[in-house]
Amino acid sequence: MINDKNSQKIVDFISNWARKHSIWVLGYGTGCGAIEIPPTMTSRYDAERLGIRGAATPRQADVLLITGYLTTKTLKRVIRVYEQMQDPKYVVGFGSCTINGGMYYDSYNTINVLDKYLPVDVYINGCMPRPEAVLSGFGKLQQLIGEGKANGATKYKENLEWYRANQKKVIPNWVMPEYNW
Amino acid sequence: MQEKKIKNKIIKRVKTNFKDARDRNDFKYNRLDFSVKKEIIPSVLFYLKDEMGFIHLSHISCVDWLEEGELEVVFILWSPEEKIKVFVRTRLDRDNPVMDNLDMIWRQANTYERELREMYGIQFTGLEAPDEFILEDWQGPPPMRRDFDTEAYSNETYFHRPGREDAEDVRETITKRSGEDIPDFAKKYSR
Amino acid sequence: MREKATTLYFGPQHPGITGNMMIRLKVEGDTIVKATIEVGYLHRGFEKLQEKRNWLQSFTLLCRFCVPEPDPVEESYARAVELLEGREVPERAKYIRVMMLELARMGAYMLWYGGQNASLGLYTMGQWSVGDRNYILDLFEELTGGRIYHMYIWPGGVRRDLPEGFADKVLRTMDYFEKRLKDYDDLMFSSTIFRKRTQGIGIIPKEKAVEWGVVGPVLRGSGIHSDIRIDDPYEVYDKLDFIVPTEEGGDIWSRALVRRQEVRQSIHIIRQVIEKMPQGEYYNRIPNPLKWALPKGDAYARTEAVRGEVGMYIVSDGSIHPRRTHFRGAAYVHAITLLENLLVGENISDVAAIMNSLGTCPPEIER
Repeated sequence: MINDKNSQKIVDFISNWARKHSIWVLGYGTGCGAIEIPPTMTSRYDAERLGIRGAATPRQADVLLITGYLTTKTLKRVIRVYEQMQDPKYVVGFGSCTINGGMYYDSYNTINVLDKYLPVDVYINGCMPRPEAVLSGFGKLQQLIGEGKANGATKYKENLEWYRANQKKVIPNWVMPEYNW
Repeated sequence: MQEKKIKNKIIKRVKTNFKDARDRNDFKYNRLDFSVKKEIIPSVLFYLKDEMGFIHLSHISCVDWLEEGELEVVFILWSPEEKIKVFVRTRLDRDNPVMDNLDMIWRQANTYERELREMYGIQFTGLEAPDEFILEDWQGPPPMRRDFDTEAYSNETYFHRPGREDAEDVRETITKRSGEDIPDFAKKYSR
Repeated sequence: MREKATTLYFGPQHPGITGNMMIRLKVEGDTIVKATIEVGYLHRGFEKLQEKRNWLQSFTLLCRFCVPEPDPVEESYARAVELLEGREVPERAKYIRVMMLELARMGAYMLWYGGQNASLGLYTMGQWSVGDRNYILDLFEELTGGRIYHMYIWPGGVRRDLPEGFADKVLRTMDYFEKRLKDYDDLMFSSTIFRKRTQGIGIIPKEKAVEWGVVGPVLRGSGIHSDIRIDDPYEVYDKLDFIVPTEEGGDIWSRALVRRQEVRQSIHIIRQVIEKMPQGEYYNRIPNPLKWALPKGDAYARTEAVRGEVGMYIVSDGSIHPRRTHFRGAAYVHAITLLENLLVGENISDVAAIMNSLGTCPPEIER
C-alpha cells in the first residue's frame, strides 16, 4: 500500500504519463465536425501515431469528442453516454458551435454553451477546425492530462446538482437512470 | 418553340378537366404553375401523374403567409418525358389547416407530410405515422410558423456566452492575450 | 419453432460514415422483420434561421446542409436566386462552377469508397481513399480558403477567379487519381469478400425504384437512365461530352459499379472543362448585399449530387430576407420510407452497407 505523499505523486505521474499516450476517442460524432475526423485518422495526419484511436463503446473510451452543435435530442443521449463512461474520462468540445453556439446562436433546437451541461476539458475552435487544429487540441489535452489538470470528471461529480439542474432545464422529459458513483 | 407548344398543350388539358384551376405561363424556363382549391388537390395530382406523365415528385413545401392568414402548400412535379416542371399550389386556412393525405400517390410524400405536420401544424387526414418526427418533447407552437420567434426562445431557454454583442476583432484580442504583434500581411484585414 | 422478436437499436451514434440517426430494428434470429427510422438528432432549424438572415448571409448556413458535399447545395441556391432575379451568369463562371461541382463529386465519392468498405469491415480502402481525398481538399483550400465549406458558388457567378497555375494543378491531381483508381479496383472490385457481401443484397427492382421516387446513382443502379445533368441541363453540362452509366442489378454491387464509373466520368468532365474554359468575367456583381432585395415570387432549382437530386425552393416576398427556403435532399426520399422497407428481410450485418449504398445523409433530412 502506498501511504506517503511522495510515492502517491510518483504513481500519479506514471499513470498520467500512460494515460496521455493512449487516448481512445468515442466515435459518437454528433454534428458536422465528424467530417474532419476521418482525415485526421487516416494516412496524411495519422492521429494513431499519437496514441489517439477510436473506441466502439462508451465503456472503453477515454474521450468524449463533441464534434459540433448539440441539439436537445442529442444532448440527452450524450449525457447518458458520458455517464456510462468510466474514469478517467475527458470531454473535448470541437468547433465554434460548442463554445458559443457559432452560427446557430439563435436556433431553437441547439444548445449554445456546452460547458454548462458537461465538463469540458479542451475546446477546439473553428468551423470546421482543420485536422492540424484537432491534433493541436489533442496535444493540449495530453499536456493537461500529463500535468494532472484535466479534472473535468471530478468537477462533474462535485457539482452534479448544478449540472443536473441545467440539463433538466432543456430536457423536459427526463427518463434516465440516476448513477451514483 | 417546342417547349411553348408542350406547355400550352398541358395547360389546355388541365384546364378542360379542372375548370377553376388558375395557371401562370410567363416563365422563361421550363416551368408551369397551377393554383387550385385544396379539395381537388388529390385529383389534380392523380391526373398529372397518371395521364400527363409527371411521375416524379420533386418537392412538397409550405409557405406561411401570416399577413393573409393562410398557409400555401406547393407541390413540384417533374415529367422526364416532356422535361417540364409543374408547380401545383393551394391555400389553407392558417387557423385550421387540414388537407388530404397523399402518400398513396407517391410513397415518399409520407415523409414530407410528417415534416409539414410537425413544422407547420398541418393535419393530413389519414396519415399513418408516429406523431414525432424531428423534434422531441416539443412544447411550443409549430416552429416554422412566422409568429414563432426563434431568437427569443433561444435567449429564454439556453445559456449564452457573453462577447457576441460587441463584435470585437478576434485578431486583436488574441494578440493582446498572447503578447505577439499582428503580422504585416494580416494588418490590412484588421478593422 | 417460432423465434421471439428482439428489438435492436442501431445508432444514434454515427452508424458508419453517414451521420447520426437511429434505426429501431425488430429482429428474429439475425433477420430483420421490421425497421423504424428515427431522425432529428441534427435538426438546427436552418430554414427558420434564414428568415432572419439576408439573401447573402444565408450562404454561410447553406453549405452546412450536407457536410460531405456542400457545393451542390450552394449551386442550387445560387441558381434559384438567379432564376428568380433573372440575373445572368458569365460564361467563365459557369465552367468554374462545373469544375467545382465535379471536384466535389469526386471528394464525396472518395468518402463513399471508404464508408462502403468500412461498413463491411474492410478498413484499408478508407485509409487510401480518405487520404487521397485530401488532394481534392487541398485544391478547394487554394481556390476558396476552406477545406470543407467553401461558400464559393455565389448568385451571379463565383467568389474569385482561379489562381495562377491552378488549372495545371487540377490536371495533375486528375492524373494522380486516374492512376490511383486502378489500385482501388484491385482492392475493392476484385475482392471476393466485397463481391459476396454486396451482390444480391438490398435489391431495389426497377418498378419499385420509380414508385418510391428514388433518384441519382441509386436509380441508375436499378437500370433507369436518369440524370439531371442530362434531363434538365444546368450550367454548361449540355456542351460537355460524358456518359451516364447504368447497371441492371439494383443491388449494392450495381450501385457500387455505377459510382465507380461516375468517378471516371468526373475526371473526364473536369479535363474537358479546363480545356474549354473561356477567359473573361467570373462574377456578375450583385448590389449591396445589405439592401439586396429579390422580386416577389418563387423558384426551384435542382442539381445532381452524389446522392441524387438536390433542390432548393425559395420564396421571396420582395424584402431583403428570404420568406422561405426549403431544401430538398435526396436522402429525404432514400433514408426514411425506402430504407424502412428495404431492410425488411435483410441480415443485421448488412444494415450499414445498405445505408451507405443509398447515400444516407441525415443532416440533409433534418436540416
